[in-house]
Parts: sequence; C-alpha cells; structure tokens
Amino acid sequence: MAAGEIDVRLENVSKSFDRVEAVKDVSVDIPRGQFFSLLGPSGCGKTTTLRLVAGFEHPSAGAIYIRGAAVTRVPPYRRDYSMVFQNFALFPHLTMAENVAFGLRMRRVPGPERARRAREALAMVKLEGLAERYPRQLSGGQQQRVALARALVVQPAVLLLDEPLGALDKKLREEMQVELRELQHRLGTTTLFVTHDQEEALTMSDRIAIMRDGVIEQIGQPREVYERPRTEFVASFLGVSNFFDGRITAAANGSATVDLGFGQAVLSHRGTVGEAVRFAVRPEKVRLGQISTGGFAAQVREIVYRGVTTHIYLDCHGNEVIVFLQNASSDALAWRIGDAVAFSWERDSAVVLDRG
Amino acid sequence: MPSSSIAADGSPLGDLLRQLRSWSLVALPILFFLIFFAGPLLYLFVVSLLEPSQTELYGTNVTLQNYAKVLGDEFYLRIIQRTLLVGALVTGIALLIAYPVAMAIARMTPRWRIIAMIALMFPLMLSNVVRAYGWIAVLGRQGVVNTVLTQAEIIDAPLALLYSIEAVVLGLMTILLPYMIISIANSLTGLDRSYAEAAQSLGAGPLRTFIHVTWPLSSPGVAAGMQLVFFLTLSAYVTIALLGGPRFSLLVSMVYRSAMAFQWTFSAALAFVLLGVALGVGALIMLVLRPGRVQGRG
Amino acid sequence: MIRLGHILQNTIAGIAFLLILGPTIVVVLVSFSSAETFTFPPPGLSLRWFVEFFQADNMTSAFLFSMRVGATSAVCATVLATLAARFVVRQRGVTSGLLQSLFTAPLVFPAIILGLALLLFYRTINFGGPGGLILAHVLIGMPYAFRLVLASLQSFNQTLEEAAQSLGAGPFRTFFLVTLPIIWPGVLSGGLFAFIVSFGELNVALFLTGPGYNTLPIEIFGYLQFPGRQLIIAAASTLQVAMIIVLALTIERLVGLARIGKS
Repeated sequence: MAAGEIDVRLENVSKSFDRVEAVKDVSVDIPRGQFFSLLGPSGCGKTTTLRLVAGFEHPSAGAIYIRGAAVTRVPPYRRDYSMVFQNFALFPHLTMAENVAFGLRMRRVPGPERARRAREALAMVKLEGLAERYPRQLSGGQQQRVALARALVVQPAVLLLDEPLGALDKKLREEMQVELRELQHRLGTTTLFVTHDQEEALTMSDRIAIMRDGVIEQIGQPREVYERPRTEFVASFLGVSNFFDGRITAAANGSATVDLGFGQAVLSHRGTVGEAVRFAVRPEKVRLGQISTGGFAAQVREIVYRGVTTHIYLDCHGNEVIVFLQNASSDALAWRIGDAVAFSWERDSAVVLDRG
Repeated sequence: MPSSSIAADGSPLGDLLRQLRSWSLVALPILFFLIFFAGPLLYLFVVSLLEPSQTELYGTNVTLQNYAKVLGDEFYLRIIQRTLLVGALVTGIALLIAYPVAMAIARMTPRWRIIAMIALMFPLMLSNVVRAYGWIAVLGRQGVVNTVLTQAEIIDAPLALLYSIEAVVLGLMTILLPYMIISIANSLTGLDRSYAEAAQSLGAGPLRTFIHVTWPLSSPGVAAGMQLVFFLTLSAYVTIALLGGPRFSLLVSMVYRSAMAFQWTFSAALAFVLLGVALGVGALIMLVLRPGRVQGRG
Repeated sequence: MIRLGHILQNTIAGIAFLLILGPTIVVVLVSFSSAETFTFPPPGLSLRWFVEFFQADNMTSAFLFSMRVGATSAVCATVLATLAARFVVRQRGVTSGLLQSLFTAPLVFPAIILGLALLLFYRTINFGGPGGLILAHVLIGMPYAFRLVLASLQSFNQTLEEAAQSLGAGPFRTFFLVTLPIIWPGVLSGGLFAFIVSFGELNVALFLTGPGYNTLPIEIFGYLQFPGRQLIIAAASTLQVAMIIVLALTIERLVGLARIGKS
C-alpha cells in the first residue's frame, strides 16, 4: 500500500442539530490501508462523524474528502465507500446472495459477473452455503458476516463500520474482532470504525481517536493512547487509572518532585515550582510490597479475585488506589484485608495530564 | 387454597384440570363465534347448494343451479365485471393517493403524526351513510359543486353528477381512503431508516432506493390496505345505492335485492360468488405484492 | 429533487384530507341552515332542523334504539372480548394465532354476507327482532374490543398477577383487584369502540332491522332514497359527528387513537 495517500480527510468539520453542536471542528486524516477507530461514550459525536463521512448528515462547516475528491456536497450514493450498520440493515426481502449483490447491481455490474463476485464475497466470510437463505434464518454472527461481505464486495475506497459488533454476545464479538481484523489486513481496505468499547478499539485499530462532547481529545496508536493518555478523560475512559494531585516542590532537567500530601513523587515532567499537577498511574504498573520495601504506606481495604488478575483496593490517607496483580504465582493471593503495605511505581509509569 | 389443591400437584390429572379451567373461560366467546359466525356462514353455504322452494326457505335437493344461474347469465357476468372494475378503480386510486400521503405522514414529527392519525381515524368512526350523504351534499343538484359552477357562470343548468359510476368510485374511494393511508403509514413508520441508508451507501439513488427497498419493505402495509379497501368496496351496499342510484347495480346490490325478494338459495349463491371474488382478488394482491418476502419467506 | 418530492407529497396529503373530511364538513355547516331546502352556502343560521329532528318520531325512536343496541352490544362484546383476550395473551404459537384470527375475522369478512347468513339463520330458528340485531352487533364490535383489551393485556406486567396470587388472592380476586384496575383504559376504550361501530353499522343492520326497530343509519338511508326534507338528515349527521368527537376524544385520552390505528 502506498503510504502517504489519504483515503479519508475531515477538515475542520462541525455539525449542529437544533443549536446543539454534536461535532466540533474535527480534523482527521486516514491514510490508505489504515484501521482507524473513533472511540467514545454514547453522545460523544462519533456516530455523527461517521454519518458525515457517509453523507447521511451534512456538515454545518468544514470539508470532507474521500480519496482526494471533495464529497461534502455529494449525496451518499455517489460517494466511494460502503458501510456495515449497527443492526446490519440486511434487506429482509432479499436472499443473502441478493443482499451481497445489491451494491454491484446498483453499479450496473453485468449479471454473471455479479453472481460470481457475490459468491466469492460469501466464500470470503465462509458462508457460501447460505446464499439462498433470508436474513431472518441466520444467526447474529452470520448476519454480521453477510453485512461485511455486502460492504466489501463493491471494493470501496473506505469501509465504514458503525458499532458492527455491538449486537453480538461477548464471546462471538471477540471471535469476530479477530476475523474482521484478519480480513482487513488481507484486503488492505481503509477502515473507519466507530465503537464505545475501549477493548475493541485497542484490539483492532492501527490508530484511535478518542472523542468527547464532539471534540477529539487524543489521536494515536493504541499503545500510545493507552500508555500516554493526555487528559484525565482519556486515562479513565481507556482502561482504569489511579489519579494523584500534587504541587511541584523542585524541578530540574525534565524531572519534577511533587508533594502529594502523603509523600513525595518524582515525575518526568518539565514544570515550574509551585505548579499544581495531576497525573495518572495504571493499576498494573503499581508495585506492592511489605512496608519495609519502601514506598507510600497504605492499608488493604478490599481484595477481588478476577481469574487472570487480582484487584487490590488500597486506602492511602483517604485516597483510593487500585492495584492489578497478575495471578502468575500465588504472591497476589498472599495479601489479607487490613494488611499494612507499601506501594510504588517506576518513574516513567506516571503520566502527567493536561489540566482541562 | 383448598379449591386449587387438586390442581396444585404436578400429576397429569392436575395438569388436565388446570388446562380445562383455563379453557372454560374462553369457551363462551368461542361458542358464541361458532354459533353466530361460523355456523350461519356454513349454513348459508349449504343453502346455496339447495334447490329453491316456493313454500319453504329452500328445497331438499342438492344442486348447482343457483351458481349456474349466476355464472351462466350474461346479465350477472356483466355485474361481476362491473364490480371488479369499481373495486379495481377504488383500490387503485386509493393506493395512488395514499402512498404519497403515508410518506408525508411517516416524515412528520411524532406529535403531528398522532394528529394526522386522529384526523384519519375520526371519519372511519362515522356511519358510512353520513359520509355518503356528504357526497350527495357536494355532488347533488343543489350541491356545492353545482352551486359554485353556476354562480361562476361556467354552466347554465346543474350537472347530473350523482347516480354515476364516477360518483360511486369517488365516494367509496374517499370513504375508504383512510384505511389505506393508515395501513401504509404504519408500515412506513415502522421501517428502520438504516435500510434506505444501506441502499444509498451501496450506490442506490432516491428512485432505486424506493423501487428496490422502500416499496418491497412496505408491501405488507400496501397489501393489507388494498385487501381491506377492496373487501369493503364489495360490501358497501348503502354507499353504492345512494351515489349510484336505483339503477346502478353491483354484486352486493343483487345479494341484497334477491334476499329481500326471498330468493334465499339464489342470494346465498350470489353471496358466495361475492366471497369468491373477494378471496380471488385478495390472493391476487398477495401474489403480486408478495408481502411475505419481508418476513423472509420467498 | 428531494425537496420537490416532499412538496408534491404534502400537496397530495392536503387534497386527500380535503376529500376525506370536506363532505362531512359541508354537511355540518348546512345542518345549521335556516333554508327550507338544501342550499350552499346557507342563507342564514338556525337550529330549526335540530328541532325538527327531535320532533320527528321515527328519527328519535331510531336514535334511541341505536343507543340501546350500541350500549347493550358494546357491554356484551367487551365482556366476551376480555374473556377471550385474557386467554389468548397466555397462549403461544399456533393456538394464539388461530384464536386471534377467529376473534378478529368479522373485521375483514364481507359484512353483507354475514348479514344475509344471520337473517337466514334467524328465520330458520324463528328468532330475530332487536335481540337478533344486538347479537349480530356483538359479533361486529367484538374484534375492536378484543384488539384493544389484548393490547393492554400484552403491555400489562404479568408478574403482578403472580405477585397477587403469591399473596393469597385467587384467580377472581386477582383479576378484579389487580388486573382490571390496571387495564381498564383499554377495556373501556374497547367498549366505546364497539359502541361506535354498532352505532354506525349498516351492512348487517340492513338485513336484521325491521318496522319498529330501525337503527338511525338505516332510518337515514331510507329517508335518503326518496327526495324529501333532507336537511333533517344534516342535523342527524351533525349530532352523530358531535357524539363521535366526544367519544373519540375520550378514547384518545384513555389509550391514544393512533395506537389503535396501528393494530
């Protein structure tokens, strides 16, 4: 895939409904072949953004390009994309084969070729045997695959996915995540994916944009947004975080000493003395030890066994601190409620957040 | 509860008693329907197969002569033909008008949609004789149309607008139109907009979205509306008599007149010919529109 | 292009509503006419035709008879419908579908055939008169009552009945103390609807009415077949319009008319 070619571009796009701004000044570039996710809670504007790309909504301001062509004022049916809907929207009066062939028919692909390509697309999602069935006769997972085949068979410049796994149960969803990701890798189709499920976004994406109140808070690779969240919202929406507040008492060479009230912490941060800072530490980055090992003193308040991990809730001078321990050995199970413990983290595990 | 102690245990007898008790309450309405609905209709069918009699309600011999009289006489065949024509016109014109109206209603906000639905339900609650009288008031010799045209000096003498096939079709069509609109509007309102969007996302413009998606998906509402309007047209003796005049006859008029002339066996046969027309056209509507497709049955 | 389509649709909708409601509005207007014969627009306003309506014996007795038939058949239809709906709501699959088709069959069945069948049946068993008409109207009104009661039972939380029974209430007390107080708007609306249907019914009444027991619509029909003082019919129509408006608003308050249109 030629890097650098931009398949989807949003330029300062805004959208208001009855004076409520659903999308505010959003700019995004999605290069060819990338799996790009819009992640956020419901009402954050991610679905509206997708529908703007699809042409079902028209932006109040800004411009949209698909493969370099300005489509801002182009109706949906003349844009080069296809879409998998949240409820799949398989036409109930058409068979699977007819559903898959629908886009080809609209593009006036001749009959025999249409049938062949529809067959191939159904084979690609491993459903060649169900070509003559109707949507009602299929399970949710099968419907999902047909919807995907219907969208991919037209070889779109960009594939739009509107929470396509939301209607499936957890186990099937996880299987489909892998399958979808594999298929996308194989075909190299540029993909814009909307989800509220942070794990799903982390699993599938090349790049994630986290949205809140119509604004993109952060864009980056999954690892980047998880490990280096820029705002408190990102840190808490993507996974779990411990938040600490403090004031810088000393700063030099890109490191700062912060007074937390119950102890001192050193952060990688260029700040000034007296500045108030808030930072986040992921629970799995927190180390737990006996009081004698050094660190901040705390008391074990609750222990929750979760199979792969054990979650330990600490009370540190009135602050709640969560620690995730791998159950690789029985160490994690050695703690008891009420134990006095010490916790600490590596300096780079603490991420200073933008004040927002 | 002592009374239910027998039924409370899980034995087969207890199950049976429980079943019997739950059926005993529904027995009354079922019995009522059997005696006053299914029974008389079956009886009427039997009578249609019996010889006429001068002294009794019907003779004793089984015969097809009543049906032969209807289907072998050109007079009655022409009436059947005219009945089909009026039914087709009423149903067809109602469909042509109702579909765009239903689309407009489906686009409305819920509040306005409710107001529109009430405005459509209300006339259906009025007696048809009152609504037919409304058309007499509009089309009659001193009616609104003639008054307006005379005063505008477009015509000199009042036109004879009533007592014509056009008056019957217009009257029946408008009287039954709300059924068609409500039926189609309900199926359009219930349509998930993502179907139309999916069609557009696959390259279908407005016209092809309508032909390939919206129309077939609304076919249950269209089929139900067409059947209802056609069936009610077949039965609408009073409207036909008032707007068509004494010399305008459809099948239903013959059913009524022969019954009033005590030709029981013949009028029974006419009634079942009318039912046959209803079922035949009803089946034809299903065959053409195939509303079952929407439920995923070929 | 889409805009143009919408304008076209709205125009057709306007014409459709005019065709549906217009003639009835004309009738209501001329019923207040002071003229001797039908003239539009009325030369002056008066209530004389309403006075004449109530002075015409055949009209008032037909009106009262229609009220009686409507009320009696509506009560019977509602009781039967409630019994039927209570049973159907607990059935699944084929039984439920079959019974629903049975109890709503008179809705689509050509009523003229039913009228003839009942007339012949009554003649054979030597039955008839007002009672025969009332029973026929129970049959005609029951599908409406059945659908409304069934709809309210379907949205009724069945666990409430289980709760009442777990607290010691038998089936009868459960129904009258728990179920009915919750579903009564549907039951009452069903009854009102059955009344309305009976009050305007023509096709069955054509066969089953007779001298001394004519319903108002049949009386009006008879009147209209001969040229005469037709404005008394306009007054009768206006009274019916007024009554339907009151009943329709009541039903709208109770369960919502638009919801009935759905079923």
